Amino acid sequence: MSAAEERPAAPRDWASIAQKVGTPIASVVLAILIGSLIMWISGYDPVAAFAALYQGAFGTPKAFGDTLLKSTPLILAGLGLAYGFRANLFNIGAEGQLFMGGLAAAWLGLMLAGQPWFVSLPLLILAAMLAGAAWAFIPAILKARIGAHEVITTMMFTYIARYLVSWLVVGPLKSPGQIPQTGLLPVESQLPRIQSLFSEATLQAMPFLKLGRAHTGIFVALIAAVIVWLVLKYTTLGYENRAVGYNPFAAETGGISVQWTTVKALCISGALAGLAGAVEVMGVHHRLFDQFSSGFGFTGIAVALLAKNHPIAVVPAALLFGALSAGGGTMQLMADVPQKIILIVQALVIFFVAAEGIITYFIKQRQKEVTSHAG
Amino acid sequence: MPLLELREITKAFPGVLANDRVSMRLERGEIVALLGENGAGKSTLMNVAYGLLTADSGEIRVDDQPVKIKSPRQAIDLGIGMVHQHFMLVEPLTVTENIVLGREPGRYGIIDFATARQRVREISERYGLKVDPDAKIMDLSVGMQQRVEILKALYQGARVLILDEPTAVLTPQEVTELFRVVRSLVDEGLSAVFITHKLEEVVAIADRILVMRDGAVVGETTPGDTDEIGLARMMVGRDVVLRIEKGASTCGEAVLTVADVHVLDDRSLEAVKGISFSVCGGEILAIAGVDGNGQRELVESIVGLRRPSSGTITLKDKDITRANARASIEAGVSHIPEDRHRRGLVLEFDLAENIILGDHRTPPAAKNGIMHPKAIAELARKRIADYDIRTPSEHVHADNLSGGNQQKVVVAREIGRDPDLLVAAQPTRGLDVGAIEFVHKQIIRERDAGKAVLLVSLELEEVLSLADRILVIYEGQIVKEFVDADADAETLGYYMTGGGGSKFASDGSNVQAIETPPTGGNE
Amino acid sequence: MLADIITPDLFAAALRMATPLALAAIGGTICERSGVVNIALEGIMLCGAFAGVAVTLATGNPWLGIVAAVLAGVAISAIHAFTSINLRSDQVVSGTAINILALGVTGFLMEIMYGHPGTTDSINTIRSVFRFESNADGGFVSTVWHWINGIFLSHTPIVYMAIIIAFVAQWAMYNTRWGLRLRALGEHPRAVDTVGVSVLKGRWVAVLMSGALAGLAGANLTLEQVGSFTENMTNGRGFIALAANIFGRWTPLGSYSASLLFGFADALQIKLQIFRGQIDIPPQFFLMLPYVLTVVVLAGVVGRSIGPAAVGKPYEKK
Repeated sequence: MSAAEERPAAPRDWASIAQKVGTPIASVVLAILIGSLIMWISGYDPVAAFAALYQGAFGTPKAFGDTLLKSTPLILAGLGLAYGFRANLFNIGAEGQLFMGGLAAAWLGLMLAGQPWFVSLPLLILAAMLAGAAWAFIPAILKARIGAHEVITTMMFTYIARYLVSWLVVGPLKSPGQIPQTGLLPVESQLPRIQSLFSEATLQAMPFLKLGRAHTGIFVALIAAVIVWLVLKYTTLGYENRAVGYNPFAAETGGISVQWTTVKALCISGALAGLAGAVEVMGVHHRLFDQFSSGFGFTGIAVALLAKNHPIAVVPAALLFGALSAGGGTMQLMADVPQKIILIVQALVIFFVAAEGIITYFIKQRQKEVTSHAG
Repeated sequence: MPLLELREITKAFPGVLANDRVSMRLERGEIVALLGENGAGKSTLMNVAYGLLTADSGEIRVDDQPVKIKSPRQAIDLGIGMVHQHFMLVEPLTVTENIVLGREPGRYGIIDFATARQRVREISERYGLKVDPDAKIMDLSVGMQQRVEILKALYQGARVLILDEPTAVLTPQEVTELFRVVRSLVDEGLSAVFITHKLEEVVAIADRILVMRDGAVVGETTPGDTDEIGLARMMVGRDVVLRIEKGASTCGEAVLTVADVHVLDDRSLEAVKGISFSVCGGEILAIAGVDGNGQRELVESIVGLRRPSSGTITLKDKDITRANARASIEAGVSHIPEDRHRRGLVLEFDLAENIILGDHRTPPAAKNGIMHPKAIAELARKRIADYDIRTPSEHVHADNLSGGNQQKVVVAREIGRDPDLLVAAQPTRGLDVGAIEFVHKQIIRERDAGKAVLLVSLELEEVLSLADRILVIYEGQIVKEFVDADADAETLGYYMTGGGGSKFASDGSNVQAIETPPTGGNE
Repeated sequence: MLADIITPDLFAAALRMATPLALAAIGGTICERSGVVNIALEGIMLCGAFAGVAVTLATGNPWLGIVAAVLAGVAISAIHAFTSINLRSDQVVSGTAINILALGVTGFLMEIMYGHPGTTDSINTIRSVFRFESNADGGFVSTVWHWINGIFLSHTPIVYMAIIIAFVAQWAMYNTRWGLRLRALGEHPRAVDTVGVSVLKGRWVAVLMSGALAGLAGANLTLEQVGSFTENMTNGRGFIALAANIFGRWTPLGSYSASLLFGFADALQIKLQIFRGQIDIPPQFFLMLPYVLTVVVLAGVVGRSIGPAAVGKPYEKK
């Protein structure tokens, strides 16, 4: 490795990009194959199942709209997980922060009734991010100060958040009626549907815009992805985040406060998860109830891992899991396959991505061995 | 009939031929030294003999019978024992537990600790290696731990003892003691292979010397037939200067002043017990001492990684006692850490990102929290050129560089910052001769440019060849000061182990009694 | 009211509630002592709980159910062992995948076996081992007997098994070949390797043992306590067990004792819910109690409790 051969400086090697993209794709394909095998063994027709799933996820503009709908919180939760992973923090309890974000948005939305949308929307989003960050703050402090493992503490905070929300929707925030839920958010606090942005004539002319329930939260998510990418790549905040994640000792020696960076990372991760909860409340349900999230915080783990913690790659990864989730219902309806198979596929993707990471890790170790053990 | 024989051993790693048809034999009652630089292939060869690596081709013979050694277990069964450079001891377990691990006496899986302790005692008495069988490893000194490693090999029935760089962590006195132990083991009928890159040790201990370079044996000799200069030439392949040329120092104003500093270690025990000294511009002050006598904590307190419990540290006129690492860098302190992989570099970062670590908030790297990739790349290219870092580009990840080039990156960053004070902790650990020369020259250049340099090193050679002034640290206190020429290795070693001055009594366990202090001290 | 709360069955419930936590926590202790982090305890427990009910429903024999639960735990932990030991995956990531997989597999099997999601049919729970008569009306002796009988002699088999396992594991860890090697494995695996003991094998055994124990914990939940399986019924117990292991400083008896604390908190919150009429606190706050307590314990009492040095680090032979 001591050679100084003249090689043109090629920071972006197409081969290496192909390798980076190729392995996650291979993981997904393998996971789907094994999922099919499980269906086949259980007596289902995997081809029919995936055909139904495809139909339910991409078959019509409305179906694609559902995929976008499911992907929106997944992008945000996935970004949160990825940002944490980049600092070597596993925010397994993103779901709890997501709940708090949804709670903050719902509560403030009801409070701000009568305000114009350009006041209420930014305030709700800000409040949700603060709530998510606040929910991550105690685990963050415990991690930074005494090293309490964030996997346990954020998980515990998830259960606490769930019970808190479940109490609020039967108690103080409950709307009149039988169902435990809050009242409906005023229209000014709702994220409008994408198709509502266009006139009826436009929709007639361009039917692919009839995206059904898909809402403008997707743009919030896409903007967030770009911002997180820029932060990681072009700011000292992101640089310090990555340095601490890779090697806290070297970072500390370089004058970076590991504790403070840890707190910032977990809180930013929480803020993004909180935002995920907010778009779900503001864009989909327009109110809060205790089942408003179908485990987006946990699926966000798979999204981030599949994207290898790259903020831009989080978008396609979230689309994939969003599609699985959106198409799962159709699959159950048309092919009679239990939706739970989606969870199995999700777990398999994580296994393969993790094992793939190990392949590159292994190659690296071999290279190291050359230098360190050749003595 | 040779006890152990390696014939034509070849072992390749991707890109490197670590052993190229290497042969050696070891007779009963013989000490063979394997001499070579880092990366010459010594450890690879011995790891093959101990079953930690499997050779690509070649033959191993024990008692003139061909054998296959695929695991340490097989090596142990054949009577081959190894004392590793990094001890294979489990810190929270006791001496006995460590020694019997893998061959525990007892029935039905229940360990008979009484018998175990008894056996440990027997072996330790038989070979004169005294040790407390119930002490925990983490409470023992390094020399003592090494003794446990030797006992472990003997317990397992070793007839051949492979010692991998055994003196790297020892004081000269402990080295003498180790040599005595190895000699007595050989008198008892054992044989030993001694891996080292230190010339004077080879001459002192070996019956026969094999010199390795670039994965091959380049010569075989005996201590009587050669001297250190001859060995060095064989080892490096060219003439080497054993001492660096440097001019006299010109001491300017005091740059770093450390006044009665006390520092606690990770276990909240006082590691630095009231140290005072100052370093002036244009001077290299070396702190010599055995590992674990407070150097690490002292360095960390100066560079802002650890807060002293009392005392003051001043840089020029600025009080940096309570400065954190960031404030310390901003005040003008640079730090070459003792472990470049742990503290010096972010291996997953590319060179450019590593070169700005510590300066990543300020121009040219960044302004108002926004980084400037172009300026960073430009700076990196400049450093690469100035410090002769061998790399295809500034975007190569640090872990793809050789150890020497990695250290050059650290040196380039820390010196390139143009600090007032350079703290260099073991700046040449694990480097080959060429890289050592480079780092030493850079350090001297800093001194000649009027900067203050604080060198902390365990290598006496390094201390003696670089320092203008030497402080000896022992158990958290400065026990002796030498001004350049009046030090020699023996005298340094004497003070490093607590000699000279009754208030610094040694614990007696790892240091042999010294009757008369060697000459050289000037107090 | 206090006399209504502090009764023998409060403490009996504490022992009962502690049992699944303790079994999983001891599993976690063994696993982490070998150097492998096991955040999959949650999922393994869930698989054990499901397998126990499924086999009991099919055969009518809860003892076979217990065996099935243990085997299911071993089987699913084998995946964790393979990915984290052989493939050297990130152990926390692998554990997360197991947890998701367990949710998926139990839910999937439930639907294809019973045709609906949610909760399975009920089984007859395993009865307590002893059934002695006692009452609190009599004199001193009979009251003492009533308390002893109520707290210690009213339990189902796995509750006693957990206590025995805690003591046996504690003894074995410090007195047997297996224990010595296990303790060395998590601290310095290369040292174990260089004396010719297989790191891979040692870690595999430890991970499978933790799987068996977490599976048994699941069996206790369904076959002895609840009597049916509900999706995601473990409800974070696997994570609380990990905290108990840390609180117990990576020892089996410590893990058991810490689990008793959490079990007591759980028993207390259930007891207090009965007095909801008198105490005006929403039930959700009682339900939060074990989770809050876990955070408090991790934050305050544990401090900088230090685990095995090599835990979480994949071992690679040279």
